Amino acid sequence: MLSRHLKRACLDARWTLPPTFLLPFTANLTTVSHSAEPSDIPEVLSHPALNPSYEKSTKIPLRKLQRSSQPPSPSADDAPVSPSSPSPQSSSSKPRPPRSPLVLSDSVRELLPLLQAQGSHYITAHIYDRPYLLTAGDTVRLPFLMHGVRPGDVLRLDKASNLGSRDYTLKAAAAPPSLRSATTATTPGLDPTTGHLSSESRVMPEPADADSRARTPGQAPHFIPHIAKFKHAYLDDRLFVCRAVVMGVEAEPMRIKEKTKRRNRRVKKVKSKHRFTILRIKEVTVRSLAEIERLRARKGEIASADLRQVWRRAWNSE
Amino acid sequence: MSTPTRFFRITLLRSAIGLPTRTSGVLKALGLHRRLKTVYHPVTQDVAGQVFAVKELVDVQEVDRALSDKEMKQLRQPDSGFYVERRAGERVMGS
Repeated sequence: MLSRHLKRACLDARWTLPPTFLLPFTANLTTVSHSAEPSDIPEVLSHPALNPSYEKSTKIPLRKLQRSSQPPSPSADDAPVSPSSPSPQSSSSKPRPPRSPLVLSDSVRELLPLLQAQGSHYITAHIYDRPYLLTAGDTVRLPFLMHGVRPGDVLRLDKASNLGSRDYTLKAAAAPPSLRSATTATTPGLDPTTGHLSSESRVMPEPADADSRARTPGQAPHFIPHIAKFKHAYLDDRLFVCRAVVMGVEAEPMRIKEKTKRRNRRVKKVKSKHRFTILRIKEVTVRSLAEIERLRARKGEIASADLRQVWRRAWNSE
Repeated sequence: MSTPTRFFRITLLRSAIGLPTRTSGVLKALGLHRRLKTVYHPVTQDVAGQVFAVKELVDVQEVDRALSDKEMKQLRQPDSGFYVERRAGERVMGS
C-alpha cells in the first residue's frame, strides 16, 4: 500500500534510484537522447539527478555562489543525490535518513561565510512547488488552506531554490530543461519507412526507427502528463534554516455566484467562502561552515579520525 | 491466463469531439474519458487493435509495470516543502 512513500520517493530529488516499479516510467525523464528503445530500456537512468554514476564521473562542482553585481554565470548542479527512505508523513517531523555527505565546492566554502556575515537574508522557499520570496518577519497568506496544522505550529521549510543577501546569492543548479512532448514538435514528422512526409506506407517501422523521435535531444520519448518532478531545482536543506509559525486561517468575503440560463426563471445560487492559511516567517538563517561540519559529524558522516582535521578547518574558516 | 509482462501506457492527447461515434466508443472501451488521461492495458492483439483504431489521438508506450490511479496521482502531487517541527503547546526539547 503506497501512502506517501511513493510521492516522497520519486519527488525527492535526493533519491538516486526510485522504486523499481517506477524505473521504466522515470527512465524517460531525461534530456539525454536514448540509444535504446523504450520497450528495451534497461533499468538504468541517464537523468543527471537520478544517476549517481553520472555525478561521480563528471565531478560537477556542486554549488556556486554568485555576486549579484556580476553577470550571472551558470550554476553547477546542486543537490547531492543520495538514497533516502521516504518519510511516512511529509507534514510531521521527518526522521532523518542517511544521506550522502554534503560536498561543498571551493567557491561555496569561500563565499558562504561572506553570505552568512551579511545581516539580512532572503529565501525563495517552495511550498507545494510554488515559490515564495521570504525573509524573517514576513507574513505570508498562502493561496490555500493548509491541512493538518493549527495556529502555533512551527513549520520548517526545507525546499528552497535561492538563498541570498544584499550582495550574494546562493542558487540551486538549473533544473533540467523540461522535456518537450513529441506532439508539440514543430519539425515535420517524417515517416520512418518512406523517409518523407507521406504516411501511406503499409510497412511497419523497425523498432529502432520507431524510437527515432526519442533521439531528438530535449524531446521526451513519450508524453508525460502532469508529472511533478524536476520542475524546480532545490538547495540542500542542510545549508539553511527557515522556520515559520502558523498564525491562523483567514477567509475571504462570502461571494455568491448565480447560475441560470436564458428564458429560465430558476436561478441557482452557489456560495463560496475560501479559507487561507497565514504564516509568519520566524527565521531565515544561513548555516555557517562550522555548523555544517558539526551536523556532518553528528550524523556520523565523518570518521572520528578525521574529526580533528575537520574541526581545525572549521575553526580556521570562522 | 498468465500475468501480462508488458503493458501499453496509453495517454489521450486529442479529443474525439466531432469524430465518428465508433472512435469515441473505442476510447470509452480503453477507459480514456478525458484528455491527458493515462491508462495501462496489457500488450495483447485486442488492445493493439484498439490503439490502432485511435492511433492519431493517443500516445503509446510499452512499459513493464502498470501504475494504479493512486500511484499516478502521487506522482502528480508535488512535495509539500515543509514539515511540522513543533506542535503548538509542545515543550521545546531541552527546555
